Amino acid sequence: MNEILQYTLQGLAAGSFYALAALGLAIIFGVLGVVNFAHGACYMLGAVVAAVLQDLLGLNFWLALLVVPVVMFVFGVVIERLLVSRLIALDPLYNFLLTFGLTLLLVDLVKRQYGVSGLPYTRPDLLTGQITLGALRLPTYQVFVLAFSLLVCAAVWLLMTRTRIGMIVRASTEKSELTRALGVDVNRWVTPVFGFGIALAGLAGVLAAPFRAITADMGSSFIIILFAVVVIGGLGSIVGAVVAGFIVGLVEAFGQAYAPALSQIAIFVLMALVILVRPAGLFGREENA
Amino acid sequence: MSTKRIVATAVVTAGVLALSACGNAGPGGAGSDEFTDGKLVLAVLNDQSGVYKDLSGPNSVKAVEMAVADFQERHGDDAVVEDVEVTFADHQNKPDVANTKAQELYDRESADIILDVPTSSAALAVATQAAEKEKLYFNIGAATTELTNAQCNKYTFHWAYDTYQLANATGTAVTEGGATDWQIIYPDYAFGQDMDKSFTAAIEAAGGTVGDHIATPFPNDNFSTFLTRAASAEPDVIGTMQAGGDLINLVKQYNEGGYVDQGIELAVGLMFITDIHSLGVEAFNGVNFAEAWYWNFDDENRAWADRFMEETGTRPSFAHAANYSAATQYLEAVQAEGTDDADTIVGHLEGKEIDDVFLKNGKIRAEDHRVIHDVYLARVKTADEVTEEWDYEEILATIPAEEAFKPVEDSTCSFG
Amino acid sequence: MLEVRGLDAFYGDAQALHGVDVTVAPGEVVTLVGRNGAGKTTLLRSVMGLHSDVRGTVTLDGEDITGLHPHQRARRGLGWVQDDRGIYASLSVEENLTLPPVTDPGSAWSLSQVYDAFPVLADRRRAPGTTLSGGEQQMLAVARVLRTGARMLLLDEPSEGLAPVIVQRIRDILLEVKARGTTVLLVEQNVKFAATVADRHYVLAEGSVAADLDNAEFTARQSELLEYLGI
Repeated sequence: MNEILQYTLQGLAAGSFYALAALGLAIIFGVLGVVNFAHGACYMLGAVVAAVLQDLLGLNFWLALLVVPVVMFVFGVVIERLLVSRLIALDPLYNFLLTFGLTLLLVDLVKRQYGVSGLPYTRPDLLTGQITLGALRLPTYQVFVLAFSLLVCAAVWLLMTRTRIGMIVRASTEKSELTRALGVDVNRWVTPVFGFGIALAGLAGVLAAPFRAITADMGSSFIIILFAVVVIGGLGSIVGAVVAGFIVGLVEAFGQAYAPALSQIAIFVLMALVILVRPAGLFGREENA
Repeated sequence: MSTKRIVATAVVTAGVLALSACGNAGPGGAGSDEFTDGKLVLAVLNDQSGVYKDLSGPNSVKAVEMAVADFQERHGDDAVVEDVEVTFADHQNKPDVANTKAQELYDRESADIILDVPTSSAALAVATQAAEKEKLYFNIGAATTELTNAQCNKYTFHWAYDTYQLANATGTAVTEGGATDWQIIYPDYAFGQDMDKSFTAAIEAAGGTVGDHIATPFPNDNFSTFLTRAASAEPDVIGTMQAGGDLINLVKQYNEGGYVDQGIELAVGLMFITDIHSLGVEAFNGVNFAEAWYWNFDDENRAWADRFMEETGTRPSFAHAANYSAATQYLEAVQAEGTDDADTIVGHLEGKEIDDVFLKNGKIRAEDHRVIHDVYLARVKTADEVTEEWDYEEILATIPAEEAFKPVEDSTCSFG
Repeated sequence: MLEVRGLDAFYGDAQALHGVDVTVAPGEVVTLVGRNGAGKTTLLRSVMGLHSDVRGTVTLDGEDITGLHPHQRARRGLGWVQDDRGIYASLSVEENLTLPPVTDPGSAWSLSQVYDAFPVLADRRRAPGTTLSGGEQQMLAVARVLRTGARMLLLDEPSEGLAPVIVQRIRDILLEVKARGTTVLLVEQNVKFAATVADRHYVLAEGSVAADLDNAEFTARQSELLEYLGI
């Protein structure tokens, strides 16, 4: 029983990373129609920037949670203005390939600068150790990761549902052309939305820094799982991305616990089943022809 | 963009990824392998960009270049060969790439010897090429005992370490230290499976038992659940056979779970000093592991490490030192015999006893080409014990060369 | 009010409109009729700026808007209602209403005016837009652009797929809109419906204007037209 609770927490903690990053991926896809292959690299950059700023400036974890997303937002804005916007009118495949190329570039630059064995990261004392509930011992950091990402997801949800910006994002996610025809300047929101999505990936990276190896390759397998998450949740579906992120985390954890050899396959089997039963994903809408 | 289209695109991209890994041809160049041309070519074939780049990679090429420079300085005008070249190629840890690169190096670049080759599957592929081309191959970076057992050959030498030696050092020492009840977590590929078997044998021989053998995907960034599962059996120690980034993931998550407080130790199967450097000593919490060589062990090592530092800006791992040693011993053999004829060099080296910066009480076993030497049981220092950068290890015990490796009578190698 | 001059429209190599001239006077209700594929929707989309592969000019109140983006055209008073109504599933009824920015506060309907005119929308204001019936969605789509204060509505087949009683309701709305002085250009297959609301009719055939008829002529030649249109 204890183990099951622990597996559940571990699954939800792992899912937190997927949920945050997939949220960014879904928002970018929704508004720009761009499948950002570089999302895994941005997750990696978030962790690397946190580690480098800690090394150079002594920036602690709490400040990194604020500063790194801002840095990544700016990075996203620059990438969107400089590169993505030039291809936006073309077939979406062009931007997919662009972001793919960007991934190779970023990964190799980080390898060149910081090597491959990873960067050290000191986590705050407050988050070390475990929370003990009777016989149950839950790692404090995992509890924190889960709580923090739920908080961020809730904040993004409020932003999406309670503000005019959110309404515009939802509207242009659903019907981009119509939204323009109704007088909304969607283009004005494209750049900040891209930056925001990248910032979420960076934030997931900061959360990973104390908990995972900070290497140039840390985003490579992450992005593959992330694609599975957004396909399961429904492309462009914001709620779907979050829910599917946690589901995939749980599948991974329980797979590792009870069928280790199948734990990664299980995610893709789930994806295949979802595509078969609901091609648009759990929360996706069937497309208009 | 439709769901189908996205999925199709992802598949195409995976294909592109696979293809992109195949490019990157090494430096070309024609030459003659006639020793009479006065030319000797040493080729380093290893991981120049991936997970093993730091622990060996480009700095091993540097170490081999140092060996060549030292050789030329030692012998000056008396050197039997003037023109000694060092070349290298990136095998990306893939056996098929290693196989092709080895052919290229031997045939097109007239390499007289290939050095390093981490990743067991790649190492075995190169051994096959060495046997076929009848050219020398000194393996340093790979751990598989197969190189000196079933898949051994006349031209292949295994210079630094292997899974038997790692298990024999760590598994035996930790078990004899009282931690008899083990759980093993290993990555599910050739190296990990081999390590799991070697450790199990060593632990059982020392009177311990292994509960579960937990196979994990590779690569993997989430080990929390595996650790919980291993810990639920309440063992004395969890042995991890993960390497590189996976090892760092696992260690971070081991610390997160507070298993130390529950009295569950962590034993690391294979670790390089570069891993400690990247994660910091605190994370390793005084963990014990097998070390093949340590830069700050004695004055001789340290003097060489200082020179290495000047060349590369970093301290050497045992792989760097072993590459230097292998290149040096090869060059000295050539000098002694006055030829680069592979069979002559093999004859010269077989049974030879060597002491150099890397090989302490070293000997090249004629029967299986296992190069034996003293190895160590090391402990990661605590933060307050560290006095300078890279000062991470305390050597707890020296395991004499004769005891460190698999006994020659147990080897299944035959050069027939 | 609206002047379209020499409009050619293309889909790749295929030309969908050939030198179309259309004029709509202020306060006028004008329909575009024609068979499927005659270019009616392409013409409407080109006026809105949604079809960009065009030659020719579109002038609104004397201003050349040919090069403007759709949202800029909307802000100059064009109100767009597309043939599938374009109701957002991810937005509530009220959000559907408030999404487009108000462009002319003077003539814009307030939210309470909209709810007075369409009580069903008030009742369902919190529900997702697409949970409304087809007729209710059509009302919502029209109310949405009225709320912006659009001076000219572009409607693509407002009566399509609706029950006769609903079609009647839509016609009443259009007549009320017309009475307020709002200009309307609509694509309509339903000739009877068109005749009851419009002042003038353009008959499109194969991407060109085949006839420009006032409502009297249109009504007189209705059966001939029906045959011609193959409806």
